[in-house]
Amino acid sequence: MADEPKPADAFDTTQWHDVVPGDTLSKIAEKYYGDPALYPQIFEANRDVLENPNLMEDAC
Amino acid sequence: MLKRLAFVAVVVMVSFMAVACATQKAPAEAAITAAETALNAAKGEAVKFVPDQVKGVEDALAAAKDSFAKGDYQAALTAAQALPAQVSALTAAATAKKDELTKSWTSLSEGLPKVVEAIQNRVNMLAKAKKLPATIDKAKFASAQDGLKTITQTWAEATTAFGAGNLQDAVAKAEIVKTRAAEVLGFLGMPVPAGLQ
Repeated sequence: MADEPKPADAFDTTQWHDVVPGDTLSKIAEKYYGDPALYPQIFEANRDVLENPNLMEDAC
Repeated sequence: MLKRLAFVAVVVMVSFMAVACATQKAPAEAAITAAETALNAAKGEAVKFVPDQVKGVEDALAAAKDSFAKGDYQAALTAAQALPAQVSALTAAATAKKDELTKSWTSLSEGLPKVVEAIQNRVNMLAKAKKLPATIDKAKFASAQDGLKTITQTWAEATTAFGAGNLQDAVAKAEIVKTRAAEVLGFLGMPVPAGLQ
């Protein structure tokens, strides 16, 4: 997904995930939120690098 | 004849001592008044930040007054003359403590609301999810929800204390929020940012 930010905000709680082959937003949503249906939350947070939630490999 | 001379000498010496003591009375009184005025001017702000140090200077002033009341004007003068330096040190210590607390509050009040919001968002999201992530059991999630309530309440108290001018209390409560938020982030499997460590 997106490049990790410069260490600027000491209170930044952004959670980063290293995408591996086979990952999908649904799988990531299930891992962190317990529910694959919540994948749009991850998509919205990564709109700068993802144009289509079904085409995550394009951003890798 | 010798006895009379000795008597005169003793009388003269006692007279000198009495005159010497009496000449210290007015300076001692003035020094005590000046010290008390300086302390009263500094005390209002200082007592909020360095109460123990204020107590120390108050005790020193009381000792000077006690010496004065007992007629020991030299001791009263010596004690009172040392007080202005103690009052200056008190003011400097209070200013330093206030600056330190202001710096802490500025940092925490900028950062903590973002952390609390992130926790709130995650708790809301997990509450909507069909099941919890594998790394979070029900007990952890319940602890996170309880922690969030405490954090929200304590943060409100901190901002109220700050608004009321109680900087020390505001920072103390913000520190509680900081510690509790780090725990809750752990329950939720979220990263604990450097500002909370």
